[in-house]
Amino acid sequence: MIALDSAGFAYDDGAPVLAGVALTVAAGDYVVVAGASGSGKTTLARLLAGMTGADAGSAFNGAITLGAETVRFRGLPDDPRIDPARWSARVAYVAQGAWGQLSMMSSTVAEEIAFGPANRGMPAQELRRAVDDVAAALKITPLLGRDPRRLSGGQLQRTIIAAAVIQRPEVLVLDEPFQGLDDDATQDVAEALEALRRTGTGVVVCAPMLPRHAPRGARVLALADGHSVFDGPLPEARRAGLRRFGIGTEGEPLRRGDDDASLPVDPAGPESIAIRGLGFRYPREPGTAVPPVGLAGVDLSVQAGEVVALRGPNGSGKSTLLHHLNGLSRADSGSVAVGGVRIDRQPTGALAATVGYLFQDTDQQLFERTVLREVSYGPRATGLRKADAARRAAIALDAVGLGALADAHPYELGFVQRRMVALASLIATGPAVWALDEPTAGLDGPARHLLAAVLSRHTRDGGCVLMATHDAAFADAVAHRSVWLDGGRISPDGAPRRGASAGPAQPLG
Amino acid sequence: MPRRRIYNPLTELLAAVLLVVLVLVVNRWEFSLAVLGLVVLPAVLLSGRPRQIGLAVTLIAGPLLVSSLLLHGLFFPEGTTVLLDLGVARVTAEGLAFAALMGLRMTVFTAALLTVAMTLDLADLLATMTHRGWNRKLVFVVGSAVGLIPHVAERARHITRAQQARGLIVGRGPLSRARALLTVLTPLVIGLLVDASEHTRMLEARGFSSPGPRTSYLPDSDTARQRAARRAMVAVVGMFSAAWLLTAAA
Repeated sequence: MIALDSAGFAYDDGAPVLAGVALTVAAGDYVVVAGASGSGKTTLARLLAGMTGADAGSAFNGAITLGAETVRFRGLPDDPRIDPARWSARVAYVAQGAWGQLSMMSSTVAEEIAFGPANRGMPAQELRRAVDDVAAALKITPLLGRDPRRLSGGQLQRTIIAAAVIQRPEVLVLDEPFQGLDDDATQDVAEALEALRRTGTGVVVCAPMLPRHAPRGARVLALADGHSVFDGPLPEARRAGLRRFGIGTEGEPLRRGDDDASLPVDPAGPESIAIRGLGFRYPREPGTAVPPVGLAGVDLSVQAGEVVALRGPNGSGKSTLLHHLNGLSRADSGSVAVGGVRIDRQPTGALAATVGYLFQDTDQQLFERTVLREVSYGPRATGLRKADAARRAAIALDAVGLGALADAHPYELGFVQRRMVALASLIATGPAVWALDEPTAGLDGPARHLLAAVLSRHTRDGGCVLMATHDAAFADAVAHRSVWLDGGRISPDGAPRRGASAGPAQPLG
Repeated sequence: MPRRRIYNPLTELLAAVLLVVLVLVVNRWEFSLAVLGLVVLPAVLLSGRPRQIGLAVTLIAGPLLVSSLLLHGLFFPEGTTVLLDLGVARVTAEGLAFAALMGLRMTVFTAALLTVAMTLDLADLLATMTHRGWNRKLVFVVGSAVGLIPHVAERARHITRAQQARGLIVGRGPLSRARALLTVLTPLVIGLLVDASEHTRMLEARGFSSPGPRTSYLPDSDTARQRAARRAMVAVVGMFSAAWLLTAAA
């Protein structure tokens, strides 16, 4: 149905990647393209989506076959152009970073989902029925009247996937679709993809790790440094020793060395975060019956040297709670104290030296021209001189393995590297309390290990970490304990009903 | 909290444009003042976001008003009724009247157009254009341009939050706010440029540039009565303007 035969792809005359990589996806196939950061999986996904990058100075040498039509490219300016309107009617693509894929023309989630088919002229009645069906399948019916720009990360991700699924394409290419989704949402998305696959759609999923669950007959194309290192069935891929290429399996326990193991917490140590009876309400959005979940009666204490994982379904209030640590949101009732000092009316900026914040969407966090300037921003804003700030930034960049990229533009880096830049800027500023929102989302195996080591170093130095995460394996390996949020309240019984370890309903291989 | 919409966005947009045409044609300060007080001001107050619109109008019309007052109030060659003689400059009654006329006109323009633009429901406007069978390319251009406005605002908010989380302190004073605005501008513009090409690609990938007719998820909020009203408004304003200009010329 679609076949890619790549002899090489080069960005701006750089070294070619995807040399000798071939992939064929037939109707009803499920293919996982696995690879660590920089392996070329996003490039491959974009090629399948018909984005050969000729308009952006890239050169693709190879051929793409869709149905009976083969388009050949030689990496020259007079290469044929793929008509995006025609191509995308048959091949749907969900890129990484849901925010950038919003049409910006829809005031509700329902319109956003309907955007694609409406552009192709689906009759209104059919359109509404299709939106209802896909929303029900992905369990986002209650969100249909909401403003898509105001959704939580996981809700937005599901909306974007719904917008692709509704097009019923011949081929659906998804770049890290499960990133930032809780277990229930992951299962809902997997079921929706499975339903689509059974009707004959070929599904291609790019991911940094091998999936824990996948439909029977799933194949894996593993990439490392732009080359194919494995091509075969998923069970074989699990035994193929892909770990040496930085490709682990989702959910498997994190292996940690003795030097980066977490120390036990001293029960008599100082309390770094003290939250008492915290209540917060969002204003009601127009067009919705109820406002987004806020917080109610949250009590939480985190000690110096402790890592606490904040868990719970998408939209349960995890990010909202983190926002209260540095004043990005202000409590309606109750109190928040960090490092023994109550946060009342202090501006957020004044708290940066005390609380470091890693946003869920890295791209909304990076704003400087070079990586070094980006990482120096924090120390400079807290009063350091330029040279001292640059020195601190360089040390922090070395700590996350990005020392060589100090002069690069953050936008030139891959997703994982951008995430590490954001982490380095937090390290360079030097706060004792870290608030991390989904720190492992989209990270590959090596980056997860690096993050675990950075966190344990921070706690051994007396810092503490509160991280919102869906990554059970990471939380189990790194956090001293987990706190579960559900509907804006701390759930006393731990994990909520449907359960983090519930297996998918499909027959899985 | 946005107001409850009564009219179709196309009707509102047309009404604002026709109002501007009338003010230009009549060209009298009394008329501009009446339009401002009786139509524009109530519209701003009922818009649901009077503060934001007021701020935007002040930012745009304010400097124009001040310069008009200085220029025409002090240096108006045709002025004969001297109120104050400053040597190099003379404050004349005619100059002040002209400054008031120009200033009022600009205020009406900016306030009327900004009120519509800032309360415009883009989704509804695009739905109406689609239901009316307007040219797709036009819908594309209007959609991607107007759709960018709230996106820019949202992105600016995200960058400010990211900067604040990393140590930027935004004080209450205007100087501190202006500095914060400057620090947000560079990353905002660069980010938007990067986004723009990616966004166009994403719109194409979702079929926004597809040939053929487009449909709309939203029901048609336009009515036959509003369409008739729009045609009537254009006809009345057209005839009135022609009559007014002919009378004035005679």
